[in-house]
Amino acid sequence: MLSMRNIRKIYRTDLIETHALHDVSVEVRAGEFVAVMGRSGSGKTTFLNIAGLLDTFDSGSYHLDGQDVSRLTDSEMSRIRNEKIGFIFQSFNLIPDLDVFDNVDVPLRYRRLPAKERRERIEKAVEMVGLLSRLRHLPAQLSGGQQQRVAIARVLAGEPRLILADEPTGNLDTLMSREVMDQLEKINEAGTTIVMVTHTPECASRASRQIHLLDGEIVDLAALPPEGPASRTVASLAASLR
Amino acid sequence: MILHNVRIAWKSLKRNRSLSVLIVAGIALGIAVSTTFATVRHSFAKDPIPGKSRGGLYYVRMDSWDPARPYPGPDATLPPTQLTYRDMAEIMKSDIPKRQSGTFKTALYVFPEDKTTQPFRENIRLVYSDFFPMFDVPFRYGSGWDKKGDAGPEQVVVLSEAMNDKLFGGGNSVGKTVRISDRDFRVVGVLAHWEPSVKVFDLTQFQIDTPENIYMPFNLLKPMQLRTFGNSDGWGSSGGQTGFDGFLQSETCWIQMWVELPDAASLAKYKDFLAAYVMEQKKHGRFQRPLNNRVSTIREWMKDQRVVPPETTAMLIVSLLFLAVCAVNLVGLLLGKFLARAGEVGVRRALGASRADIFLQHVVECELIGVVGGAIGLLLSFAALAALNAWLKTTVVNPRAAFFHLDVPMVLLSVGLSLAAGLAAGLYPAWRTCRLSPAVHLSLQ
Repeated sequence: MLSMRNIRKIYRTDLIETHALHDVSVEVRAGEFVAVMGRSGSGKTTFLNIAGLLDTFDSGSYHLDGQDVSRLTDSEMSRIRNEKIGFIFQSFNLIPDLDVFDNVDVPLRYRRLPAKERRERIEKAVEMVGLLSRLRHLPAQLSGGQQQRVAIARVLAGEPRLILADEPTGNLDTLMSREVMDQLEKINEAGTTIVMVTHTPECASRASRQIHLLDGEIVDLAALPPEGPASRTVASLAASLR
Repeated sequence: MILHNVRIAWKSLKRNRSLSVLIVAGIALGIAVSTTFATVRHSFAKDPIPGKSRGGLYYVRMDSWDPARPYPGPDATLPPTQLTYRDMAEIMKSDIPKRQSGTFKTALYVFPEDKTTQPFRENIRLVYSDFFPMFDVPFRYGSGWDKKGDAGPEQVVVLSEAMNDKLFGGGNSVGKTVRISDRDFRVVGVLAHWEPSVKVFDLTQFQIDTPENIYMPFNLLKPMQLRTFGNSDGWGSSGGQTGFDGFLQSETCWIQMWVELPDAASLAKYKDFLAAYVMEQKKHGRFQRPLNNRVSTIREWMKDQRVVPPETTAMLIVSLLFLAVCAVNLVGLLLGKFLARAGEVGVRRALGASRADIFLQHVVECELIGVVGGAIGLLLSFAALAALNAWLKTTVVNPRAAFFHLDVPMVLLSVGLSLAAGLAAGLYPAWRTCRLSPAVHLSLQ
């Protein structure tokens, strides 16, 4: 589903270069539920932005669903994001002026689906997250958990092949987090690939596989050398991630 | 998608009301000023007789002026604005024009049938029968008189709608009698409302006056010894004759002359005829200036008479520049407004919006601002024009009710300017907003 080879991403300013990702190679098979873990600044969000075609990379190759995305135009990438990828954000990212119905409608509008089909998809998706009675509520009238469920409904309505979730439970309490993770598990069981960035071990444990990022590199925790000052530092960081 | 974008734009306007009011007010002010001055200019410049302003109907001038000096005016190359009576009478004998009419304005006392109403002095226009079809004058009742009426001359009149209301309380007054001066005149026609944009048939003075309310056969000028109440320009003596006949034989220019020439061939032929007439007159000692006949279209005649005051053109240009300044001033505000919503744009981009979608969304918002600002500007323009019309009443002798008014072309211009201003103000901010990468937008959330 997702195949990255030696992806490198450097942020440049006039004075400094920041290596956000350094030769990152990741394979995610269709139907997998992968958790990407790492400390703040480890490159998780950059990885997710590149995976979701929201940002470009400097070198390496990236195939999404078998398609080389390195040479796509902006509109082609937009179309792939719209049709194949669903995003779930930590801060929900619902549009405050739009009610639940219209928020879920946003990606469907960009797909130019007919009104009848959009309505059917929206109602079905909102029903799946249990918010059909709140269809005309504004985000501000919903709790954080409900807002995240609306964001999940927005993804579900688009029927994507890949879901990219960036700390989906980061702004939720334990109970709400569990509800959201239950939803994601259900979606994954239905066959949708999920790549989730998290620093919460409980959430990561729900995934079928975990990838660890450290200073822009993939780290295999099991393969870390046991001794040495440098490796001790890495090991201590890795331990903090477990 | 456009309607959806309009909905989004409307929500966006409501979100930050004070900023939206500021932006809309900027556009409204620019539109109000530019629409007002465009309408002022348009009121003078618009086609007074649609279909005939660029050809067909021609104003005739000949240079019978003083050989020692050119006819006074801003352009020394132009002949006198009017003809002498005798020249008009002679060229009226030509059978080349399809229609033709000399015309001038006089003033006489009208004695209403109702003895309780005071007699009043009224401006009266003397015309030939061809005048009415030449200027597409609309009739409510009856018609103009015929050639026999010209030749008689018959004591007949055509009344304006307002005069018919005043003398006969409206209704069909054809066949009724009205006493003017010391004679009775039979009403043969009553005009429907007729108010060409400028008083096209007499641009020699008071160009924005209402047309006269009474029309009578031109040839009555001799038996009634009527003199002009319009402009008259003279330079020479009357050749020894005195009195009214002396006036008619003088070099005084006081008659306006119109001809209808349906095609280029008849126009060329008529110009040759006039040239031949002048050359013949030269043999008799008249027309000692170089040959300088003018057979002008309405547009040309309006230009020569400077019907459109140059100040109105200057004011229009300044007002358009003002609108441009208003629009440019809004660029920064709109850029700030759009970038403040960068997070939302990032979400939309993540959900599949292309750059073009984001650009269109923001351009629609700018155009909505333009339309709302334009609508308010149009209302302000209505008020400004009403004030100008009120001012006009204090400065013009016989002004029409609303000389400056917004007609369909001006409303369309205002809409066009509103959209252009919205686009000018919003194009760069919309472009900047859509160019940011989605990741950057999301990071600004």
